Amino acid sequence: MCGIAGIVRPDPGDPVDEQALLRMARSIRHRGPDGFGLLIDPGAGLVSTRLSIVDLEHGWQPLVDDRSGSVLVYNGEVYNHPELRAWMRTRGVEFRTRSDTEVVHALLELEGPEGLGRLNGQFALAWWQPRARRLTLVRDRFGVRPLHWSWRDDGALVFGSEAKALFASGEVSAAIDMAGIDQAFTLWAPQSPQTAFAGVEQLEPGGLLVWERGEIVERRRWWRAGPEQPGADAELEPTLRDSVAMRLRADVPVGAYLSGGLDSSLISALAQVEKEGELRTFSVAFDDPAYDERAEQELVASALGTSHHVVVAGAAEIGDAFPEVIRHAEVPLVRTAPVPLYLLAREVNEHDLKVVVTGEGADELFWGYDLFKEVAIRDMHRDDPDRAMELLDRLYPHLGASSRRGPGWTRFLLEIDDDDPLASHLTRVRSTESVRAFYRDEVRAELSVDAALEPVRDELPSGFAGWDPLERAAWLEVTTLLEPYLLAAQGDRVAMAHGVEGRYPFLDHRVYACSVGLGGEEKLNDDEDKIALRRLADELLPPSIVGRRKQPYRAPEVTPFFSASSPAWVEEMLSTSSLESVGLWDHRRVEGLLRRCREGRATGVREGMALIGILSTQLWHEAFIATSGPDPAETAAPAVRIDRTVDQTLSEVP
Amino acid sequence: MSETVGGEDVRKEMRVFIEDNFLYLDPDADLADDQDLLAAGIVDSLGFVEIVEEVQARYAINVQDVEITEENFGSVDAIARYVERKRAEP
Repeated sequence: MCGIAGIVRPDPGDPVDEQALLRMARSIRHRGPDGFGLLIDPGAGLVSTRLSIVDLEHGWQPLVDDRSGSVLVYNGEVYNHPELRAWMRTRGVEFRTRSDTEVVHALLELEGPEGLGRLNGQFALAWWQPRARRLTLVRDRFGVRPLHWSWRDDGALVFGSEAKALFASGEVSAAIDMAGIDQAFTLWAPQSPQTAFAGVEQLEPGGLLVWERGEIVERRRWWRAGPEQPGADAELEPTLRDSVAMRLRADVPVGAYLSGGLDSSLISALAQVEKEGELRTFSVAFDDPAYDERAEQELVASALGTSHHVVVAGAAEIGDAFPEVIRHAEVPLVRTAPVPLYLLAREVNEHDLKVVVTGEGADELFWGYDLFKEVAIRDMHRDDPDRAMELLDRLYPHLGASSRRGPGWTRFLLEIDDDDPLASHLTRVRSTESVRAFYRDEVRAELSVDAALEPVRDELPSGFAGWDPLERAAWLEVTTLLEPYLLAAQGDRVAMAHGVEGRYPFLDHRVYACSVGLGGEEKLNDDEDKIALRRLADELLPPSIVGRRKQPYRAPEVTPFFSASSPAWVEEMLSTSSLESVGLWDHRRVEGLLRRCREGRATGVREGMALIGILSTQLWHEAFIATSGPDPAETAAPAVRIDRTVDQTLSEVP
Repeated sequence: MSETVGGEDVRKEMRVFIEDNFLYLDPDADLADDQDLLAAGIVDSLGFVEIVEEVQARYAINVQDVEITEENFGSVDAIARYVERKRAEP
């Protein structure tokens, strides 16, 4: 797991400044704290910061192919690299290292991008072919690893794992893109390729982009989520077991995140079975019992016999870490939920662990969220309204019984236009878009929810309207929330902030294929969700965990910023002068919200989202837009420095 | 809390409550007593419940679940009528 970045220019006579590359490396050094390497070519430069996990001694990047002269910088893991290596050996390919990077590079040399379907893993890569002056950018199927790029007016392409690497180059300025901000306040996050920054795009999940001599000559998906997947008839249990076993492959110890729910408990149990030696598990706990799952976490850890570690995320810790989380996430948020996971990754790092497996993805693949039940209940309401109302009353128990009373609640959940292809997600859109009510009138006049949703509608697969409503909901959840938010702000960004790599066994494409191949009755029936997983967990976990109803992962939203221990910067960031200098928010409206926060009245979901949305936008603006000048350059010596503008030999710095 | 709450007092108090807690998003708007609070988007589902809880606490009324309707809480007028009716109950 690493960070990658680079600059390629149309003209080989137009050099790339080494200092720019060093600044880019510095800006994403948290992703790869073990060292970095750089390569300078005529009119091109690539850098890689490394988190050593496989083949610790070798495996440094950029990696050069001696025959073709092509170069690979690669962020991620390909778990089936031993199998691919064995297969490629039969094709006459020779290997110098044990690293997966070399396997990916050799596969690209052998088959080009057509070979990507052979890879099982999570990765973002840049493959530079200097003779053709061609750069190919690739991102893994689900978009676990990030990859940003900017195509400049002079034809140059600047790319990096994180947008901050682009800004550090000095060639791309950070400017606000309201379309991206507005998507965050509609769907929780900008939808790739949209980002919050003007002129900066994120490669789509399963995306491929080819730049050649200053032009983008190809842009497509090499993989798409959807109901047609090879291997959909495979059996779930052996596939998931194999996925877990593959994700334990590393030359360093692998731990596990344990939330106390079914998914992470199941992954921990399978990891414990597959793994030699003791499994270390890590959990977030909360002072506030409304969010805390400590009892369940301890029950699972004890049943599995893991070495268990707990981080308690109090309001003060969440408030203190929030600005750093925004700096890593690079996007305004509507939830504080990424912050405890940032604190958890820090704890993992302090225990000298670099890799954790988690249960991410199960709720999307096996219909675990209440959102899926909403869809089913609306359908049921036509034929059996009494039963539907009974089930409706069980949704979102964390909101408390008093909040789920009255006509507004039932109207909110039931009055949805089911003919709209996005129907399943319109309740989320309607609650999230309330943040937009705090915009200044001039800002609001330029934006609309329809415009924010249009790119999602444009990307719907053909025939989507004819799919089963729950299949549609699952596709939308994978597409609009998993990659843009859960795997990003709540996944890669907060873990890599501390050099921790999350691995997601449910997001093995073979497990995904199994999930779409299963009938709906194996996922959701009446009030019971993730049925196939619960059956699988039956022999591995305590009954109370197997039968446990999902507790949505949430964190306190108002108290970290409005209590005696609140950080001093909160009032300053939300002052009228700060709000006016950023220019997005109507200070009178914000004042009303702040008054309710101070009085302890802002207890609803929407006001919580509004507060976090406004505060995070202010912090985001300060971190990226209001700052002047790029990051300082990396001053440490590179582990690898290859300068092919001087000669064509590879020189390794010890 | 007023000890002799008549319909007009309830109207006035609830209008202030709604203006303070929900209309801050639209500071220049005027709230009409017969305005449909849900349909006009002045309150959402949670806001609706917040009004119910305020009525319970402010006027010491025990609101039953079946009474949480737009007919009773959908506008300032509706709330005033509901409170008067409940207070008149033996």
